Amino acid sequence: MQPMGNVSDTHVVVVGGGGTGAAILYDLVQRGFKATLFERGELTCGSTGRHHGLLHSGARYVVKDRAVGRECMNEVRILKRIAPEAIEANRGVFVAFTEEEEAYRETFEEACAEADIPTQWLNADELLAMEPRLNPTLRGGVMVPDGTLDAYRLPMHFFAGARQLGAVIRNFARVESFVFEGRRIAGVTVRDLRTGTDETVACDLVINATGGWAGKLAAMADIDLPITPAPGTMLAHQGRLVNNIIERLRPASDGDILVPQRGLSIIGSTQWQSDDPDDCTVPDKDVDFLTRAAIDMVPDFKDTKYHKAWAAVRPLAGASSTEEEGRELSRDFDVRNHGTLDGVEGMLSLTGGKATTLRIMGEKTVDVVCGMFDVEVPCRTADEPLPNYRQFFRHGVLV
Amino acid sequence: MKERTVTVYRTAKKTVDEFTVPYNERTTILDALEYIRLQKDPDLMYRQSCHHGSCGTCGMAVNGEFVLSCIKRLADIPEDQAVRIEPLPTMHQIGDLAFDPAEFFNEFPDDIEYKRVSEVNTDAPVPRDMEHYERFESCIECGLCVTSCPVTEDWMGPAALASIHRMIEKNPDDADTWLDRAADKRGVERCTKDFSCSRVCPTGVAPGKRITLLGSMIKKREKARASEEKPE
Repeated sequence: MQPMGNVSDTHVVVVGGGGTGAAILYDLVQRGFKATLFERGELTCGSTGRHHGLLHSGARYVVKDRAVGRECMNEVRILKRIAPEAIEANRGVFVAFTEEEEAYRETFEEACAEADIPTQWLNADELLAMEPRLNPTLRGGVMVPDGTLDAYRLPMHFFAGARQLGAVIRNFARVESFVFEGRRIAGVTVRDLRTGTDETVACDLVINATGGWAGKLAAMADIDLPITPAPGTMLAHQGRLVNNIIERLRPASDGDILVPQRGLSIIGSTQWQSDDPDDCTVPDKDVDFLTRAAIDMVPDFKDTKYHKAWAAVRPLAGASSTEEEGRELSRDFDVRNHGTLDGVEGMLSLTGGKATTLRIMGEKTVDVVCGMFDVEVPCRTADEPLPNYRQFFRHGVLV
Repeated sequence: MKERTVTVYRTAKKTVDEFTVPYNERTTILDALEYIRLQKDPDLMYRQSCHHGSCGTCGMAVNGEFVLSCIKRLADIPEDQAVRIEPLPTMHQIGDLAFDPAEFFNEFPDDIEYKRVSEVNTDAPVPRDMEHYERFESCIECGLCVTSCPVTEDWMGPAALASIHRMIEKNPDDADTWLDRAADKRGVERCTKDFSCSRVCPTGVAPGKRITLLGSMIKKREKARASEEKPE
């Protein structure tokens, strides 16, 4: 992989060092832009690293949204190719434990077929042979190409690719304000936490890739960005009980995903609503609820040892005032150009999205950037394998 | 919620700051730091990502013990003890509790694989287009073993050597190449068999045992080579 040289002298500042920022940054420098990323803490310290680790084939969303399902499936195929070391490429099984869940099979399989997600029905005997710890009352299950991603190492693959191609990455550097020229953003003022000093960095475009914090950053430019920070709890116990991701064959709800990862079993999730994306305190009731939900699917979970309960903020696109409305918000993402939408030039915001689709979020965002600056370079991030995450550190310490 | 006083090392002042934090039975050191950053001091620097002991970013010294701050619970420290939070001492410090792990990662050979065959339900059938179920290695590359190691000379360190041993376990046919690397003068021979690496490892990798096993393999190979060279 060789840097292409700057097809453009355009300097783009990406704010937010999560998975989305990583994929945008990599795509930007691969297409020849100059790019600098600022992250207020360590890379992936927001929602990104706290992900439960389910690499979505799209099956979880497909009944409600064929397009999102299809997109996830396509991204799973790509990520397995470009970042194999960041994925436990096993499978997922949507298990029917009840008669009602078994009745959902047809709807589910039809939707998967329409979105190009391959499925295979396993009867109760076949499924119990494959996963002997599942609750033996089960009636069968639909196997899909879900997997487990390493929520830290997958984005670090993208950061490694970006750094190799000359992107500037600044962690512990917090954007404090925007520099305006009239109604156009011409730069950012950044506090370097290492030195405690402020500096101004000029740029042609700012990309707000701060996930659940996108509304807060936009507000610094007097932009009202409709976003719903929706935290959810996850619970990890010690001991790997299954090899496939275990989900329930029913419309997506709480406590219906058990993810094996390394030597852990992680049950997720719940969902509540918060005005403050930083407020991620785990409610006591969530831990009890998730423990019961896991035992319901895999009874041996009760004999495993508590490891950790934690919460992370989903960056749902759109506004909602109640938890019920929040659940109806799509997991799709949106690239918003504040020049056309809000009369503030020089800034794009990403809202929505999820870990599995980080690469395509990068691609679609940089497509918009190319359009803005008349750059005609096609995206190549789906074609070229990423360097391993450890390569990120081959370039020395970050300053 | 109960309250607890913790002291946190601050680089700029070269001293500690004291904070009072709320906690319950689940609250970890990392949760306490999050509370301090969000409620008291937004400039506090520390590393974090996964919050469940998988990413390996959040290693710290708590009362001198090297731990992952995301799984070390405040409630596990007796109430009559102070809670002193400091950065991992041997890492490249960048501020407060944060370090840059580049030097640590650079000891790993380029071609170390990060996945292995799953040890769970090994007799169970697998999907038709798969050879076996797989999982990530147990080592989360947190560097606690390297920090705890008493060897002061420049060497590869326990994490990289343990990863080499894992490569041999997974690919016995390539043992020779990997043993060459472990036999480097910055390799196995520097180990003093203190085993503090194995004691601090949060995921049970047992680097000390692996380095010892590498040492035996190297010796055995030397013996075999020596006897081959002897005339009949």
